[in-house]
Amino acid sequence: MAIQEVRVAVRSSLPDAKGRQTLAEIQRSLHISTVQAVRTAKVFRFEGITVAEAGYLARTLLCEDIFQVYTVNEPIITDTNWLVEVAYRPGVMNPEAGSLIKSARDLGLSHVVAADSSWEYAFYGPEITPDDIDTILRRLLVNATVQHVVREKPETLIITGRSAPTLSIPITGMTDEELMELSKDKLFLNLEEMRLIQDHFRAIGREPTDCEVEILAQTWSEHCVHKTFKAHLTVDGREKRPLLKRLQEATNSINHPLVLSAFVDNSGVLAFYDGWAVCGKVETHNSPSAIEPYGGAATGSGGVFRDVMGTGQGAKVIASTDMFCFAPPDTPLEEIPQGCMHPNYLLRQVVAGVRDYGNRMGIPTNNGSVHFHRDFRAKPTVIVGSYGLLPADRCEKGKPEPGDLVVVIGGRTGRDGIHGATFSSAAMTDRTMDVNAQAVQIGHPIEEKRMSDALLAARDEGLIRAVTDCGAGGFASAVGEMGASTGAVLALDKAPLKYSGLAPWEILLSESQERMVAAVRPSDIDRFREICREHNVEATVLGTFTGDGRFRATYEGAEVMNLSMAFLHGGLPQRRMQAARPSRNPQPELMPDPPADWVKAYKDVMAHLNVCSKEPIVRVYDHGVQGTNALPPLGGVDGSGPNDACVLTPILGKPYGLVIAHGLNPILNRIDPYWGSIWAAAEAVANAVAAGANIDELALIDNFIWPVPDEEMLWALDRAVDACTDFARSLGCPFISGKDSLSSTYRGAGGLTIRIPPVLCVSAFGRIPDVKNTVSADFKKAGSQVLLVGQRDITEMAGSVYWENLGLAGTALPKVDLASFTGTCRALYRAINSGKVLACHDISEGGLAAAIAEMCIGGRCGVAVSVPPDQRPDYFLFNETAGCFIVELAPETAPGDLFGDVPWRVIGSTTADRRVSVSLGEQRFAVLVDELKEAWQRPMKEVFGA
Amino acid sequence: MKPRACVLRTDGTNCDQETAFALELSGARADYLHVNELRSGRKRLLDYQIMVIPGGFSYGDDVLSGKILAVELTSLLREQLQEFVDKGRLLLGICNGFQVLVRTGLLPYSRIGSITTTLMPNDSGRFECRWVSLKVEKSPCVFTESLAGRTVTYQVAHGEGKFFTSQDVLDDLERRGLVVFRYVDAEGRPTQAYPANPNGSLHAVAGICDPSGRIMGLMPHPERFVLPTQHPNWRRGPAAAEGLPIFQDAVNHARQM
Repeated sequence: MAIQEVRVAVRSSLPDAKGRQTLAEIQRSLHISTVQAVRTAKVFRFEGITVAEAGYLARTLLCEDIFQVYTVNEPIITDTNWLVEVAYRPGVMNPEAGSLIKSARDLGLSHVVAADSSWEYAFYGPEITPDDIDTILRRLLVNATVQHVVREKPETLIITGRSAPTLSIPITGMTDEELMELSKDKLFLNLEEMRLIQDHFRAIGREPTDCEVEILAQTWSEHCVHKTFKAHLTVDGREKRPLLKRLQEATNSINHPLVLSAFVDNSGVLAFYDGWAVCGKVETHNSPSAIEPYGGAATGSGGVFRDVMGTGQGAKVIASTDMFCFAPPDTPLEEIPQGCMHPNYLLRQVVAGVRDYGNRMGIPTNNGSVHFHRDFRAKPTVIVGSYGLLPADRCEKGKPEPGDLVVVIGGRTGRDGIHGATFSSAAMTDRTMDVNAQAVQIGHPIEEKRMSDALLAARDEGLIRAVTDCGAGGFASAVGEMGASTGAVLALDKAPLKYSGLAPWEILLSESQERMVAAVRPSDIDRFREICREHNVEATVLGTFTGDGRFRATYEGAEVMNLSMAFLHGGLPQRRMQAARPSRNPQPELMPDPPADWVKAYKDVMAHLNVCSKEPIVRVYDHGVQGTNALPPLGGVDGSGPNDACVLTPILGKPYGLVIAHGLNPILNRIDPYWGSIWAAAEAVANAVAAGANIDELALIDNFIWPVPDEEMLWALDRAVDACTDFARSLGCPFISGKDSLSSTYRGAGGLTIRIPPVLCVSAFGRIPDVKNTVSADFKKAGSQVLLVGQRDITEMAGSVYWENLGLAGTALPKVDLASFTGTCRALYRAINSGKVLACHDISEGGLAAAIAEMCIGGRCGVAVSVPPDQRPDYFLFNETAGCFIVELAPETAPGDLFGDVPWRVIGSTTADRRVSVSLGEQRFAVLVDELKEAWQRPMKEVFGA
Repeated sequence: MKPRACVLRTDGTNCDQETAFALELSGARADYLHVNELRSGRKRLLDYQIMVIPGGFSYGDDVLSGKILAVELTSLLREQLQEFVDKGRLLLGICNGFQVLVRTGLLPYSRIGSITTTLMPNDSGRFECRWVSLKVEKSPCVFTESLAGRTVTYQVAHGEGKFFTSQDVLDDLERRGLVVFRYVDAEGRPTQAYPANPNGSLHAVAGICDPSGRIMGLMPHPERFVLPTQHPNWRRGPAAAEGLPIFQDAVNHARQM
């Protein structure tokens, strides 16, 4: 069938914002100066309509002649030789296609059969070379994983294919070499695991199907089964309980009265108020984001939202968080390992992915951070969190009953995302980009939004027995887990497909986004379907939960899988793993000279990537949607002062607050994984407490993003878990959800190995009875007392930004004293609750100096600080011990009444002159707050051009 | 009796709950109304005195923001909409809803199918969320009777909010006083300077109404400031919930219908 093309461009007399943005990125990020202008045009293609009908669509739908022009089946930009069209590859779902077809049908063209859209870029400049264009395409406009350059008009937009038959895999007779060849690049299982599969099929006397081998590899992948966290450990010759057990035992021993669900469902659940509960889940999407950062981050958000949606009988998503680690954006190109992407591109694309998914879903993204270290060039860390609200009486994980229907809702199944679970469990190599391209897709947040709307409507009518998200492993994982104790049978040919040609195993394993599986009673199915239809959501009965304990699947009547759930879930024996403390040469303690130029040292700390303002990122997230923000990420007089946590009022009109915060410090983890992890947990809790939270009403979520656990890295992981359990028991804050991702090692050609600094991200969330009793970080007025509250040893400078700027490493890192920290948190909570605290900010990267600067930036004021004579002034200013706070009190408030025997000290007062003035005994220095602000805002402005 | 208000929903609508809350807080009885319910005839627009098309990304803002929904309304629900407007009912479009209203032709001249103004991509080329100051102009608008002449602070959150039209239409809107909101600087003067004018709108226009004053659209989000604690700096001094009067005026007006 003929394809009609409509091209639409902004009138040449008007600014083309997309063209300008592209030009700015070419100049700023690629440093190509030959391109002087860029124009863009949108290309729409339709199959099944006439030329005249294409003209009608152009006038009524595609082009607004107030500011645009169009052509039909003709070029629209004709005044340059440098014209390139960039489109999604055939088979990659373009979310816009569905809207084009819908709207064409609304306009009476019901015979349209397919549609697509893409962009043309026109480059202008007499000096442009083919190399320039090649670089722009490769590094900016075309991610070859999902996009391509269109060189000629496609013949059809319809994707078809013949479905491959189910194959029998002759595994029983394979040699070890043949087993590993089967596993490589596809199954990612080791020889021992491959042999277990071989033994199983030898024992039952038949060869497995491809469906069976694939589902075993997926279910047994590190990503899904957490082999390391469940392994039996020997650490330096001493036997230790599995990591996951230890975390769960700590939670059980705390026996927290607010915890309604921990570690069993898709997220952890806490009691809220008035019969409501709140839940939280934090996930990683490192591997997909490393090769397709926009789609990887977007679908990471989409996945963690579905985890919350699939908690209990369904929850409403009310917040999104994002924590990233990258190499510095100015890392020289030649230092980027083969097969990896440049961090400048990764950072911008990951932010764009989180932005588009959260904004379009209408979920406020209002807590997050970005951390930088050179070794994240091996693989970025992309952490996305999500929080939800649900009725407390529907918050328990549902259990399907035999006879319940397996219903898939949401998007259709395609070839995208196949092998995501197994791929995520593997280390990055120089082959990763090529071999695993199909593991990534772009997201469709509108599909997920309408699914969420339908799901909540069905929940409120009590139609959902159990629900879970189709994440890694697709139907195989979702139905396999839901039906683990019952059994299930699926008719794979019933699954709605994006296009024909999927083999049965691909349908089973596909990780196409925006799909969920619900267990619905047969008597409820009609109403369930009706609700879905009203919300434009497809709902399909795929099978039944049985009582036979087997996982079976058919395709067009023939059986393609028949495994016992017991072997699938219990066939993998507990791993035994060894961990050993690495030997390290003792290093002499360092004693640098104090800075000669205090102002420069201060500004350098403010401009450090791990301290600098992340405002250009926060601004592109809709942090106000849902109208729930009572403490937003940014505040203060001109809206540029950062707050420590966010506080939401998820039930509009009620004063109840949900506080969300987090902490991580990969640099400290490299020095000492125990104290680095204590720091991360203390930072998470301190951020919440600084806003007014009570540690008795907080719960924690762990995320371990680690290099591949060899003996040394496993030792570090063991230490980090010990830190988590010590911290939880000491404060009484339980971990109620968590995730590990243990594949962040890069192995390149020629033996190049890069390990990321180990990341433990701790998220804290909890409830606050009245948001009126919370504080922000901006100083409120001149003449206030400024206090330092909390215990620290300022000689513990290792890992600090100040030392890093001096080129120093060291080993003496901050060691948070948990007993003292607990007392500080309690005292601060009482003080804030009494209404006497005007502002509070916790100390983290950049130390006390960065904290007071940020408070001045928010308050548009200054501060005069005196360094006590007995303390080394640069360490006093730049020490980064977590769990210490800067507190603003009115001059008439007596600090001793509030803080008693908790360590506190008045260090100065706020001023009207908008300077930070520091007296260092005999010496003193002063710097304009605006100068500090400029240094602090510059790095991300340079990356994002804001 | 409480006036009845509906909040229109479809795929990708996402500011519906806070909008319904603002209406209820102002004394209306607010329902969610899915566009499919209107298409199937199960519900009728005329059962309501007020309709709000809320913010969000209707149909993903594919093609142009609000376009797919605007085409759906003008192709399939034209008569109902026309009748609703002809009977003097109130119609408010916020953010994505404003984009829908200009793309149906209901703003500024209340002529379905005749598009005379548009909302282009922001000059900055990106989506941005920030609080802005707005001057409320004297206009026939019934939603701003009590705010006219004041300066208020609302949040904007959009990527396509640059108000643009021909010089003739712009002159006409100014002459007839149909500009309701303008972005202003710290001194309260209309501004073209970023970020006080977050998108580069001509004449700093942030919101307009039709000549009857009963149809209004604006890019900023009054529904996000109907409680004092929704303001980012409520701790710096007492703040009135400056978005609430929009909904209160609408409800008061609807009571007299």
